[in-house]
Amino acid sequence: MPTLTIAKRELRSYWNSPIAYVVICISLLGLSLVFFNLNGGFWEANRASLTLLFQYLPQALGLIVIPVITMRLVAEERQTGTLEMLITLPVTDRQVIIGKFLGAWGLVMTLVAATSLFPVMMFGVWNLGSLDSGPVLSSYLGVTLYSAAAVSIGLFISSLTESQIIAFFITTVMLFFLNLFGSILALDVLPDNIKLAATFISFNERLRDFVRGMINLRDVVFFLSVTGLCLAGSIWGLERRKWA
Amino acid sequence: MASDVMIEARGLTKRYGAFRALDKVSFEVKRGEVVGFIGPNGAGKSTTMRILTCYLSATQGSARVDNRDVFDEPLKVRESIGYLPQRANMYGDMGVLEYLRFAAELRGIDHATFRKRMKDVVEVCGLGNVLGKDIRTLSHGFRQRVGLGQALLHNPPVLILDEPTSDLDPNERAEVIEYIRKVGKDRTIMLSTHNLKEVEMACARVIIVSRGRIVADGSLDEVRARGGRVSYTVEIDAKQAVEAGKNYRQSLQPPQSSAEAEQALEAIDGVLSVAERPTGGETYKFVLKGTKDTDLRTEIYNLCVQKGWLLHSLERQLPSLEDVFKLLTKSDEIGARGKVAADVAEALDDEDDIDDEDDIDDEDDVDDEDDVDDEDDVDDEDEVDESEDADVDEEDRK
Repeated sequence: MPTLTIAKRELRSYWNSPIAYVVICISLLGLSLVFFNLNGGFWEANRASLTLLFQYLPQALGLIVIPVITMRLVAEERQTGTLEMLITLPVTDRQVIIGKFLGAWGLVMTLVAATSLFPVMMFGVWNLGSLDSGPVLSSYLGVTLYSAAAVSIGLFISSLTESQIIAFFITTVMLFFLNLFGSILALDVLPDNIKLAATFISFNERLRDFVRGMINLRDVVFFLSVTGLCLAGSIWGLERRKWA
Repeated sequence: MASDVMIEARGLTKRYGAFRALDKVSFEVKRGEVVGFIGPNGAGKSTTMRILTCYLSATQGSARVDNRDVFDEPLKVRESIGYLPQRANMYGDMGVLEYLRFAAELRGIDHATFRKRMKDVVEVCGLGNVLGKDIRTLSHGFRQRVGLGQALLHNPPVLILDEPTSDLDPNERAEVIEYIRKVGKDRTIMLSTHNLKEVEMACARVIIVSRGRIVADGSLDEVRARGGRVSYTVEIDAKQAVEAGKNYRQSLQPPQSSAEAEQALEAIDGVLSVAERPTGGETYKFVLKGTKDTDLRTEIYNLCVQKGWLLHSLERQLPSLEDVFKLLTKSDEIGARGKVAADVAEALDDEDDIDDEDDIDDEDDVDDEDDVDDEDDVDDEDEVDESEDADVDEEDRK
């Protein structure tokens, strides 16, 4: 119960401030610009497919949206001192972390859900073609899992620092590398085993199957493991105050 | 362990790296006690309170609140504590009512109980006009009130308040202190503050910490008595003596000069010092110092009767809490300053290795020289207070 109360408060605080509106509106605007116009975009591909959308969405989430949303989670509370007030209520550190995770993830999922406007408007209202719904659904599952992992990484980093700016930059850099390992980064120069490891942890590589319409249990377990690990790390990061 | 011990700290030690914030702090607070927890900034008050509320862990030692260990059962401990942190920071984007409801939900208070408790809390903390406002728009004083309201919401048996009056105006302070007195009857309250007058008003017991150690713990009077010497204010008429009765053979005279009276007072066994105070010329006024265990009022009175001097006032004063506070905590600071001075001196001139080392040693030898100095300091301030008091007395008599 306390977990949900904290999650609710967290979510509400996004909507109490301009963060939620700004992030969601700008993201949707940017996504549609890129999706329809970049290199000819959707029109050029000339297929009733949202593959492009699901290629851009994780990058948008990882490079801006999630760092912005997660940077404040613990760092801000530590900086302003609200953390002491929260933690001395009868709640465990775990409830605080999971509550905050659910709140931030909830906001990201609101944005993800808002992107369903694309398929609904394009194929439901304007009838631009007949959409194969399978890959769309599996892509949404993939993005959901990816968001959980990325949010937990941001939360972990926020739990280690007092500065939101530092949390933002480190999260952005980390997600940049994790997303693009194995695809854009020049892997050819690297030795084979490192290349293999890079492909293994690459978020984009993991998402590829989801976008194609395949749900691979290994990918699901991978994202869930990253989430679990980072949440455990965040709890540790919060508990550190006791011993510092 | 007796069940009415509500807060128990045993050998609490907290280190931040090499810095020792708390050093083997032990104390007990019983049910219904209101304890003033005072000390200079950085003495370890907040650290102690944070350990008791399970926000921090002690490096060594143990603590129990309401018979539960703070390390083993932090949730149960927090349930029985109402805590107001030092700066009372709350989510600025939340409304007051929204925030209180949030705290209540986390404490598992159901809606009906919440409504009932809110009536009390709103009245006590004077929150009626701000319930709908966002916390960030409130003044510090009102934020402090909201924080206090949050601490009282679940009607806790133990209240831990870290400087609850620091941002309040004098009227609000008086209200909060009055409230603490009121609720302190059936509750255990630990209150830290820099305002010693508040402690004297609200707390029957005082714990003084300095540099992580407890330097005094006891009832208000016990701690005040730690100040060492008591003082007496004596005022003798300079113009007329006691009207002689029939049985008196000789006619009685007032003291010829202040020196005569001073000498006579000094001659009393147990008087450590006599200092004259300025008056309008109608009276002679002296402040006497005596040891704390004795009461010299009888001797002083008898002296005046023997001499036939007209005694206008005679008052015995214990040192104030502020005197004791300064006495007990200033020695540390002087020690620290002495050390810094010594370090600087050492760094600046290598040639003159004067008495730097001695200075450093002085820090440990606080009991010797430093103490004497301190007492003198306190005495001086004492005397100022006393003359003021005496003035008030004069007015009273008129």
